[in-house]
Amino acid sequence: MPIFRSGEIKITILLSAVLIAALGPRIAGATLGEPEITVQSDVAQLRASIKNSDDRASYRVHEIQLPGGTLLREFVAPDGKVFAVAWNGPTKPNLRQALGKYFDAMVSAPKPKFADRRHLQIQQGDLVVQGSGHMRAFSGRAYLASAIPSGVNLGDLH
Amino acid sequence: MASCIGPVRAVLIAACCLVAVACGGGGGGGGGGSTPPPPPPPTNNVVSVIVDEGPTSQSVNTLFTSVTVCVPGSTTNCQTIDHIQVDTGSYGLRLLAPVLTVALPVETLSSGNSLAQCTQFVDGFSWGPIALADVQIAGETAKSLPVQVIGDSRFATVPAACSGTGTAEDTVSSFGANGILGIGPFELDCGDCDTVTHGLYFACATATTCTDTTVPNAMQVPNPVTHFAADNNGSMIDLPAVAAGGAVTLSGSLIFGIDTQSNNQSGTQTVLTVDGAGELAMIFNGQTLANSFIDSGSNGIYFADSSIATCTATGLTSFYCPGNTLTLGLSIQGQNGVMVNNLTFGVGNAQTMLNANPTFNVFPQLAGQLPAGNAGTFDYGLAFFYGKRVAVAVEGNMTSVGTGPYIAF
Repeated sequence: MPIFRSGEIKITILLSAVLIAALGPRIAGATLGEPEITVQSDVAQLRASIKNSDDRASYRVHEIQLPGGTLLREFVAPDGKVFAVAWNGPTKPNLRQALGKYFDAMVSAPKPKFADRRHLQIQQGDLVVQGSGHMRAFSGRAYLASAIPSGVNLGDLH
Repeated sequence: MASCIGPVRAVLIAACCLVAVACGGGGGGGGGGSTPPPPPPPTNNVVSVIVDEGPTSQSVNTLFTSVTVCVPGSTTNCQTIDHIQVDTGSYGLRLLAPVLTVALPVETLSSGNSLAQCTQFVDGFSWGPIALADVQIAGETAKSLPVQVIGDSRFATVPAACSGTGTAEDTVSSFGANGILGIGPFELDCGDCDTVTHGLYFACATATTCTDTTVPNAMQVPNPVTHFAADNNGSMIDLPAVAAGGAVTLSGSLIFGIDTQSNNQSGTQTVLTVDGAGELAMIFNGQTLANSFIDSGSNGIYFADSSIATCTATGLTSFYCPGNTLTLGLSIQGQNGVMVNNLTFGVGNAQTMLNANPTFNVFPQLAGQLPAGNAGTFDYGLAFFYGKRVAVAVEGNMTSVGTGPYIAF
């Protein structure tokens, strides 16, 4: 039994768009750890479009198509907050936009021993950022460990 | 041939001989009996490569070579730079500005703006202008080749669209090499940057005002091999086998061209073609992992297997630390359907191996985990190349055994 109905999604998106328009530049555009409304902010900031919104058993996924071909997925918990983002495509998305206030924690994290250019594994407090790939094919994800709804399999967050 | 040996003037004979190499060799030369010049010696197409500790003394399983760059048109204003990483998982030559002593001219778009790049790697980005250089590796040369100069103080301001993709790797220390030589199976580092903006190429009206731009293919940063005058259809990496426990260093050869000289023949190599991202399938633990790749730029063997313990030591938690060394099986299938079965690889305890031999830089059994969300990938790094000769053929190029993009071994 999904916790969101599709009608609600459309209303949410519509409302979000109206709110974005009303609030204008005051929305800095954050997403991880922020309310669902920031999904729309990301779409605007990233010059992207929402390709799909899907209700899963205990969360909702917004799939955002970036102009360069990369897919950015934002996972929303029942409390209405984005608890994970994941990406996949020829280039990385703007992670400052997608990670919001957690971006600085990712950038300032110490580089692990024996790092190469094909992998990323960061754990800074509650924030986990992981990535792999190579030129022409990147994938990765960031999530807040404490915000993952119960019953969600980490392997599904991609 | 007939027109070559006819009663024509010497200048025409010479011109004919340029296109018909055998002209005059058959005893029919009409030029008055002079001995034909001997054929030019084959281009030296071999450069040595080494796995060592690298310029930061922190590298493992990282392959390096040396590259000579000259100001275009100059044979004296040149510099040879060592510890350039050899990477089959990227495309193009990129040099770290702090080690570069020759002043390479920045490439200019038709708009008059300078061209710069935000090169993306999984763990960060490298920002800097695109410059032109005459590049020489072994006896091979590429004239006026677009190369990236990373961390160039002339373009010190990183645009937000670039810095927003992650952590800066603009110094030798953060980059872990003096440069990188991307010789993967494509010519360009972007599939469609001539028509689509990806946040990779930037037009800079001034050094501090750079905006995302499309770029004609000829101005993008290419795999240098594709611009060599000869031996330009691909390359081969030839490394000796190494003991399971590793070694301090490992030396071998990077050979340019495939089936272009006597020293780069395909022979009985098996061809596995790759897709538009350079990927193929690997079959591991009974699962087909469709987004897998063989990559000299990966320092370990990376895959997801939750049954193998990971290390607990700080900074090593991504690597596997099994109680005993494991021997695991793997098959690889090209996009052409060709299958290589029954390969095996070892997974050692990373912590134990590194502690036992702290001076080692070669670890064939160093393996690490991929995030669980990447269940469709097996990343077989430089260890795949140990004890093998691996050919990487560039897209659209024919060899005696196939057409690139492919990997063969």
